[in-house]
Amino acid sequence: MRISKFEHYSRNIIVLAVLTFFLLPIVWLLTTAFKLPRDLITVPPVWLGFTPSLVNFDFAINKVNALRFIGNSVIISGGTTIASLVLGTLGGYAVARSRLKIVSISSYFFLVLLMIPPVAMLVPFYLLMRDLQLLGTHAAVIILDTCYNAPFVVWLMSRYFASVPAELEEAALVDGTSPFGAFLSVMLPLSIPGLVAAALYCIIFSWNDFIFALLLTNPATKTIPLGIMATFSVSNLSWGNMAALSVFAVLPVLIIAVVLNKYFVQGMTAGATKG
Amino acid sequence: MKTARRRINNRERTLLLMLAPIVLFVAAVSLYPLLNAFALSLTEYKLTDPNQTRTFIGFQNYIDAFNDPAVTETLLNTGVFVVGSVVSQVLLGMALAVLMSAESRFMRIVRGLAVIPMAIPPLVVGLVWKALLNGDFGPVAYYLKLIGINPPRGFLGELNLALPTIILIDLWQWTPLLMVIFLAGLKSLPTEINEAAYVDGASRWQAFTRITLPMLAPIIFIGVLLRTMNAFKIFDVIYVSTGGGPGNATAVLNFYIYKVGLTFFDMGYAAALANILLVMIGVCCAVYIILLERQKNSNS
Repeated sequence: MRISKFEHYSRNIIVLAVLTFFLLPIVWLLTTAFKLPRDLITVPPVWLGFTPSLVNFDFAINKVNALRFIGNSVIISGGTTIASLVLGTLGGYAVARSRLKIVSISSYFFLVLLMIPPVAMLVPFYLLMRDLQLLGTHAAVIILDTCYNAPFVVWLMSRYFASVPAELEEAALVDGTSPFGAFLSVMLPLSIPGLVAAALYCIIFSWNDFIFALLLTNPATKTIPLGIMATFSVSNLSWGNMAALSVFAVLPVLIIAVVLNKYFVQGMTAGATKG
Repeated sequence: MKTARRRINNRERTLLLMLAPIVLFVAAVSLYPLLNAFALSLTEYKLTDPNQTRTFIGFQNYIDAFNDPAVTETLLNTGVFVVGSVVSQVLLGMALAVLMSAESRFMRIVRGLAVIPMAIPPLVVGLVWKALLNGDFGPVAYYLKLIGINPPRGFLGELNLALPTIILIDLWQWTPLLMVIFLAGLKSLPTEINEAAYVDGASRWQAFTRITLPMLAPIIFIGVLLRTMNAFKIFDVIYVSTGGGPGNATAVLNFYIYKVGLTFFDMGYAAALANILLVMIGVCCAVYIILLERQKNSNS
């Protein structure tokens, strides 16, 4: 059905207003990071007409050692993503291809695990890590993040594998390739888009994770959200300093969301839409 | 025949071996704590106790929970938050999906940018909104003041406004998710039926409510359940923006569990509260799985 010019323009104006609502807080954060203290609390607020300065980034890097927080975040996200992809892709393939009822039902077991709020498990997780003497280590956070991410990868990848025609690997099996060889040489290369979506989800989840890091890290292994929080709770911190630290936390995920938009959306909506 | 069967068995064995690592890992990491949590909930165990004694007290922690006014309050807050945020996000998400469903370059760019909020760390989201709403210098508070909205203790400081403000922050972050889910649903619908309805003289509103919405019902349900289960998990935003206050006005059950367990160190009671939350989530979960299964069957 054709729509009138009036309707076309009014719709675009509404859409732009909505987009402003979604983007303005991010614009505020990115601009505030470059503001001098005197420009932070001006009334009325100044959005763009200020002299940009790197003083907040100087504070973040040299005073609170943001690079160490980032390093910890990279270690934890990297470890989580690799472990989740390996465990989840293998499991996802089994769920997609096995004819055994118990295997296909296990995908729901993984789904149920995803629904458990991390807070409900904090006490037992804490005691577990204490007994394993892993408190304050990167490994402790990686293990728990993986416990929440790998089942998601199973779920996403099983649906992805199921959408790839089975005839392709059956041809390889008939040719004498081992079942695992067929998975490696035929299925994995065909599933790269699914793997990318799963990887982005894992990176974002573990990069953004606050609660496991809050529970399990110590000052030497704090991730960037913890670093922001720790610095923020110290008195006389300016919002400019906070914003500069936050930019480090936001930039990687922002780039993923914009540049790899299609895969990002696929990963985020995998719980609701088909492969 | 025999070799064919051996090949299948061989294959099933390989598949089981591929599934084994994650099952063992997840069982080791989560099932033991889950069982431990149940055992723990039947004991009195304070982490601050120098002797680390665990006294078995039966279901006393659960009985305490039912008599704890803070539990009643936080459960009520949880209900208000979950219903308020899910309903508002579904309505807005659907409106946006319809508005943005047109295929044009402009709309594609808009759709790409509108999903950014859900990538941002929730902790940063809480901090940014706390600053934006700050009564002294927050830009959003400033513009609202211009149109006469100026709560004396600030949006996150007023008893009646704090929880709705948290709902608004959640709406900012998660409406885009429902929007993209509904967009995918809209794209999957055949357009011929609507065209036929227009030919028969139906208005666009009629076509939307009588044809599009019923056909989207399964995906709407799944979107609702997905968001419901995630809404129960809210923590970071509350932690950083209000700390559960003022009073307990923004403390949802999830947050109260954290407070009991890791600031009061009353581990047994926290475990009991956690189990109550798990049962609530379990119910949502069961409904979600039944619906997913039905959707899968109707599609194949």
